[in-house]
Amino acid sequence: MNDLKLAWRNIWRHTRRSILTMMAIGFASLLLVFMLSFQFGSYESMIDASVKLSTGHLQVQAAGYNEKPEMRKVVPNPGVVMDILSRTPGIEAFTARSQTFVLASSEDRTRGIMVMGVNPETEKGVLSIATLIREGEYLSPRAPNTVIIGTLLARRLKIGVGRELTILGQSRNGSIAATVVTVGGIFKTGIDEVDRSTVQMLLSDFDALFAMDGAVHAIVATARELLQVGEVKKALQNDPGLKDLAVLDWVDLSPGLKQSIQLDLVSGIIMYLILIIVVAFSIMNTFLMAVFERTREFGVMMAIGTTPRRLVKVMLMESMFMTGMGLLFGMLAGAALTQYFAQVGIPMGGAADLMAQYGISGRIFPRLSWATLLIGPAMIGVVTFLTALVPALRIPGLKPADAMKAV
Amino acid sequence: MFTQLAWRNIWRNPRRTAIILTAIFIGVFSMIIFAAFSRGMADGMVDNAIDNLVGHIKVQHPDYRSDPDISHRLPDPNAITAELKSLLPTGAKITPRIRVEGVVANARETAGVEIVGIHPGMEMGVSFIGDAPMDGRLIEDGDKNGIVMGAALADRFQTEVGKKLVLTTQQADGETGSRAFRIRGIYRSEIEATEKAYVFISYTAAEQLMGEKNCATEIAVTLPKEYRNGRLAPLVQKCRDALEPYHVSVNGWKDLMPAISAYLAMFDAFLYIWFVVVFIAMGFGIVNTVLMAVYERMREFGLLKAIGMRPSWIVRMVLGESFFLLAAGCAAGTICGMAVTYYYGHAGIDLGAFAQGVKMWGMSRVIFPAIEIGDVVAANAVVVVLGLVVSIYPAVKAARFTPVETMRQN
Amino acid sequence: MNAVTVSDVSKIYTQGDVKVMALNKVSLKVDAGEFVAIAGPSGSGKTTLLNLIGGLDSPDTGHISVNGKAFEKMSSGDLAELRLTQIGFVFQSYNLIPVFTAEENVEYILQLQGVGKKERKQRARAMLDDVGLEGKYDRKPSQLSGGQQQRVAVARSLVSNPTIILADEPTANLDSVNGESLLQTMREMNEKHNVTFIFSTHDAMVMEASKRLITMKDGAIAGDQVK
Repeated sequence: MNDLKLAWRNIWRHTRRSILTMMAIGFASLLLVFMLSFQFGSYESMIDASVKLSTGHLQVQAAGYNEKPEMRKVVPNPGVVMDILSRTPGIEAFTARSQTFVLASSEDRTRGIMVMGVNPETEKGVLSIATLIREGEYLSPRAPNTVIIGTLLARRLKIGVGRELTILGQSRNGSIAATVVTVGGIFKTGIDEVDRSTVQMLLSDFDALFAMDGAVHAIVATARELLQVGEVKKALQNDPGLKDLAVLDWVDLSPGLKQSIQLDLVSGIIMYLILIIVVAFSIMNTFLMAVFERTREFGVMMAIGTTPRRLVKVMLMESMFMTGMGLLFGMLAGAALTQYFAQVGIPMGGAADLMAQYGISGRIFPRLSWATLLIGPAMIGVVTFLTALVPALRIPGLKPADAMKAV
Repeated sequence: MFTQLAWRNIWRNPRRTAIILTAIFIGVFSMIIFAAFSRGMADGMVDNAIDNLVGHIKVQHPDYRSDPDISHRLPDPNAITAELKSLLPTGAKITPRIRVEGVVANARETAGVEIVGIHPGMEMGVSFIGDAPMDGRLIEDGDKNGIVMGAALADRFQTEVGKKLVLTTQQADGETGSRAFRIRGIYRSEIEATEKAYVFISYTAAEQLMGEKNCATEIAVTLPKEYRNGRLAPLVQKCRDALEPYHVSVNGWKDLMPAISAYLAMFDAFLYIWFVVVFIAMGFGIVNTVLMAVYERMREFGLLKAIGMRPSWIVRMVLGESFFLLAAGCAAGTICGMAVTYYYGHAGIDLGAFAQGVKMWGMSRVIFPAIEIGDVVAANAVVVVLGLVVSIYPAVKAARFTPVETMRQN
Repeated sequence: MNAVTVSDVSKIYTQGDVKVMALNKVSLKVDAGEFVAIAGPSGSGKTTLLNLIGGLDSPDTGHISVNGKAFEKMSSGDLAELRLTQIGFVFQSYNLIPVFTAEENVEYILQLQGVGKKERKQRARAMLDDVGLEGKYDRKPSQLSGGQQQRVAVARSLVSNPTIILADEPTANLDSVNGESLLQTMREMNEKHNVTFIFSTHDAMVMEASKRLITMKDGAIAGDQVK
């Protein structure tokens, strides 16, 4: 108890110095809490965008389809797969999809595009294209032979809502598939690649047009929580009913996404470590002075019977009190700042266009979690402890008689 | 005299000085390394993008960018090329291309691609295809039925050099036309998307496919190094004025890739914010160290005042000391930072572990850190100027010690 | 058994390039309950001798033992333990812990010994009362006069019930009135608790009050006189 008191009061022998030291620690932890929340927030929106716009969390496909998509590689009995999905815990929603490459012609333009067959009823629960319609209507089972197309594609085909589009492709059995459909709606995802080359139609139309015989190319599913995906994937992979099919998660479906997140995270962590090291050196003088200017006092305390171990302990307590207060302050301020920006978002300015290509909106919303709140301050705490340890470990080497001679 | 005093004073407590110097050193060192690395990354990104059939200046039909259709071709490519030749500095490379969207098919597969008609000899050092690694070989000028495709696409089509492909596209008259080609080469690119996106045929073959002579959709210019950044804008303006009668749009690469330019601007902003952040981290230490040094010498300052030194002199003395600290730390950090950058600038840093992620953002797998003098100056300026600003506090403290106060202290 | 045995102890300090023979083959025995003054000009080795007896420093040659325990076999932790339980120190410049109050300074020793909180408070206060500091428990060292600070130091050294008190010129910074009353207190303690006192001094009054006077010169014992 008295040791704690001793440590605590020692901090306030140099109020100004201690406050500056705590501020340095507080500043660093504030920054780390905010930056990590910012990074994780942006990752989440990247994954979210990618998941909602194209891949979903999980897909069940024919083996080999993901590596080399071909018309003939199908899931023959989607009903069986959907049964399994509906009784797998952790799955939130799922929908069946098919897609193939076709030539689409308007009155005076022809373009090669990707046509997708979707089920509008279930699609809404998994993917977000229904909410991105800019003109006209989303697909509906009551309006067969209607399609929705991307904005850029509409412009390139010089076509609008209500106009006709000729589709020419190859059906599953190799014969020619051709039909005329009406444009029912135009969507904009903001991802040029998608807006330039996608057409969506009813899965039933797709089935009939391309002679799919009830087969589909993928069942796209979302999990309740991003973190559950791995678990759910494992459960599905072990399901005997799916043993001839491939179960893929978002990492398999867009490998670049995970690695670019890793790259960003690693470079972030390197930056933070550098920052922490700079902070460590910048506060090391405080800890060092705290030992040096009290050499005499340590001599006395040893003379009256305090063991060196105990002095080291008191010294470290003192440093850790200071660090702790700095960290606490930094965490509180960092959390407040993060929560504020989590409400209003951080505008990305000119970079928004580039980000849009990866499905990130113009504002990034940092996301505070226990991890982002604690990781940074924990790293700072460890480094600070080591910083305090160096001067404190000089104490046992002191000879009381010499120490007492020090000024 | 004055500088000597300041210099000696900072070495009165060598350990403490060494520690704060280390903080400044690591700070400045990391600023320079970080700046060089991000510049290298950004340069790689820009180079890749420019290489990807963009070039430094591009002349196009004003509507081509929003609707890349053969109907939006250039009016008189030969005349424009001749005009450009007279306007541009020697060393600039000018090449016309025909680029249209189309469909490529073989017996197994069909895919949407961009068909690019090029003068193969003129693409060398201009776009990636001029010197891409390749199975087989690049088409030659005038080759009427040769085609070059990307490795990823060839893989999907399960085809190889010597096999046939059919290209289908909309012709200049609006009709759909098809022609058969034989694969001469299969190129590889750093970015898989590129391999899937483009097939190359000769300019002559493209003219035939389009059913129209001289139907270039763009003229791309690659400039000598010194014209690529600062001197680009005036050059673009000069071309724009001269080509006014042709009603074409002339753009520099920064306008052609607004997203990348915006990203670069954000990069700059982020870099300077980071400089300030690192400074703040060391700033607390600087204030604290100077403050400790000042308080230890309270008596001395009281004495100096007692013998008639003006407070402004004391302020100058303390600031002089922190200037030495800052300058010494900055110098060491800058030298080491530049040395390390110089080494890696040649060796490169391989980001192979993140290959897919790197590709996704269009960056190069190997980063060559690049020093920009502006960044080095900015890093040093931030540290020295702000360092002096925060040292004003202890300096003013020192100047305010009164002789009486200091006597009581000890 | 002797309280303190010093045999053939030498200690050399190096100051720059100069070697100073601080103690030259000193031998000394002190019995339990003695009240010994060590006198001599400054630099004669008084402080060094006290430091060595307290285990604050180690001799270059020779042996020291306190209450039968030989120092050369003890670690720094053991020595600290020995000082905590058997030896008390009083310094010329008081050397109280500045952030603690008078009471806490005294109490801290008891805490180091692991005494319970209640007993600690009681004993600390009783000891402060004994040295004449009733009611000054909550003062910090900076709020006490030199004499009062030195009394706290004496209380601190006595509270742990040591068998030996080592005092290095305890009265040097005090005026004669304060010095005399401190000395009075120390003698009372010596008689009341049978604590051995060894102190260095060049104060004639202190020499007068001692029961045994050892005189030192140039690192050696020049005289040893029991009154």
